[in-house]
Amino acid sequence: MYYYSRLKYTCIFFLLVFLPMLIGTQVHADRPFPKPQGLVNDFANVIPPAYKQKIVAITGELLQKTGTPVVVVTMPDIGGAEYNDYANRLYSAWGLGKKGEDKGILIFVTIKERKMRIETGYGVEGIIPDGLAGEIRDRYMIPYLKQDKFGQGLLNGTVAVAQIVAKDSGIELTGQAPVKKTLKRRSGLSFLPIILIIFFLVFSSRRRGGSWLLFPLLLMGMGGGGRYGSGGFGGSFGGFGGGFGGFGGGMSGGGGAGGGF
Amino acid sequence: MSKTLKTVLIIAGILVVIILVPIMYLKGTYNTLVTMDEGVKAAWAQVENQLQRRYDLIPNYVETVKGYAAHEKDVFVKVTEARSRVAGANSIPDKIRANNQLSSALSRLLLVVERYPDLKANTNFIRLQDELAGTENRIAVERRRFNEAVKVLNIKIRRFPTNIIAGMFGFEKATFFEVPKERQEAPKVKFSRSRADYDTGQTLV
Repeated sequence: MYYYSRLKYTCIFFLLVFLPMLIGTQVHADRPFPKPQGLVNDFANVIPPAYKQKIVAITGELLQKTGTPVVVVTMPDIGGAEYNDYANRLYSAWGLGKKGEDKGILIFVTIKERKMRIETGYGVEGIIPDGLAGEIRDRYMIPYLKQDKFGQGLLNGTVAVAQIVAKDSGIELTGQAPVKKTLKRRSGLSFLPIILIIFFLVFSSRRRGGSWLLFPLLLMGMGGGGRYGSGGFGGSFGGFGGGFGGFGGGMSGGGGAGGGF
Repeated sequence: MSKTLKTVLIIAGILVVIILVPIMYLKGTYNTLVTMDEGVKAAWAQVENQLQRRYDLIPNYVETVKGYAAHEKDVFVKVTEARSRVAGANSIPDKIRANNQLSSALSRLLLVVERYPDLKANTNFIRLQDELAGTENRIAVERRRFNEAVKVLNIKIRRFPTNIIAGMFGFEKATFFEVPKERQEAPKVKFSRSRADYDTGQTLV
C-alpha cells in the first residue's frame, strides 16, 4: 500500500517537473506560420495587383537565374510577437535557399504592429551586410511604408535587393516574367518504403519463421516514411508553379535590418 | 535430432535477442546523447561568433560616438571596461556573465547617442548603428537556438531511463545563456534619419 502511494507521488512529481518543459517547448507552435504561397505572400492584402505582378516578375527571374529567392511577406498582425524574432523564425520555417547554402532574402512587413524587416540568410550576409540592408530600408522602403504605399515600398525594396544579388552573380535582370518551369515532383518516392514492406510481407509469409525479419524492416519503413513525409511538406508549396526548388531548408542567423514605420 | 537442433536454435535466438536488444538500445541512446551534446557545442560556437563580432565592432562604434560626444567619458569607460572583461572570460558561464554586463553598458551608451542629433545623421554612424543592431539581433537568434539545444539535451539527460546512461558515460547538463530579467531584449538600437532626401523616399522603378 505504502509502496503504491509512493509510486503515485513519484509519478506526480515527474509529471510536475517534465510537463512544464514539454509545454515550454511548444510555446512557439501556438500560432503556426502560414504556408508560403510563392515569392509574394500578401497575407495582409496590401499590395495592389500591378505591383504584385512586378514583384513576382523580378523575384521570379532572379530565382530562375541565380537560384536565390527574394520572398515578400505581408502579415495583417503577428500577435504582438517581437518582429525581428518572428521574421527570423519565419525565414527558417520556410527554409529560404538551399540547405547549407542559405542564400535567400525575406522582406517582411506586419501591418498592425507597423514593423518591417529585411532578413538575410547566412549565405547572403556577405553581399548584403546589415548596414546596406539598413540603407535599403531607410532609403527605399520606410518612406513609402509610412504613407501606407506598401506596393511601392515593397517593390522598391525588392528591386534594390534583387539588383545586389544579380550583380553579385554577374547576371542582368530584364524585368521579364520567367517562363514557368515544369515541376519535378518526387512524391513517388514516398511510396517506396511501403512497397518494400508489402513486398517483404508477401515474400516472407511464404517461408516459415521469416516473419521476424519484418521487424527491423518495419522500423526502416517507419523511419523512411517520416523523412519522406517532411519532404512532402517541401513539395506542398511547389504547387504554385514557379519551380520552388529554392525553398530547401535554408537558415538565417538574424542578419539584415528592421524597424518601425 | 532435428527436434533438439530446433530447440537449440530457438534458445540461441532468444539469447541473441536478449543480448542484442539492450546493446542496440544503449548504442542508440549513447549516440543520440553524443549528437545532442555536439549540437549544443556547435550552437555555442555560433553564439561566440556573434559575440566576437560585437566585440570587434565596439571600438569603431565608440570612436565614432566620441567624435560627437567626447565629454560623456563615464559611459565610454564603462563600455571599454566591460569589453575587456569579455576578453578575459574563459569558461562559458563567465563569458555569459561578462557579455551580459557588456550588453547593459552598451544600452547605456545607446541612450547617450539618442541625445546627439548630429551624430545620428552621420552616414558612417548610421551604418555602424545598423551593423550593431544586426549583431545584437544575431546574438539573440543564436542565443535562442543555443538555449533550445541546451533544453533538448537537458531534458534527455534528466529523463528516465536515459539519465542512467547519461550518468554512466558522464554526460552533463549544459548551462543556459540566460539574460537578466530587466533586459530580456537586445539593446534597443534605434535608427532614425534626419536626412531630407530620406523623408521623400527614392524610387528604383
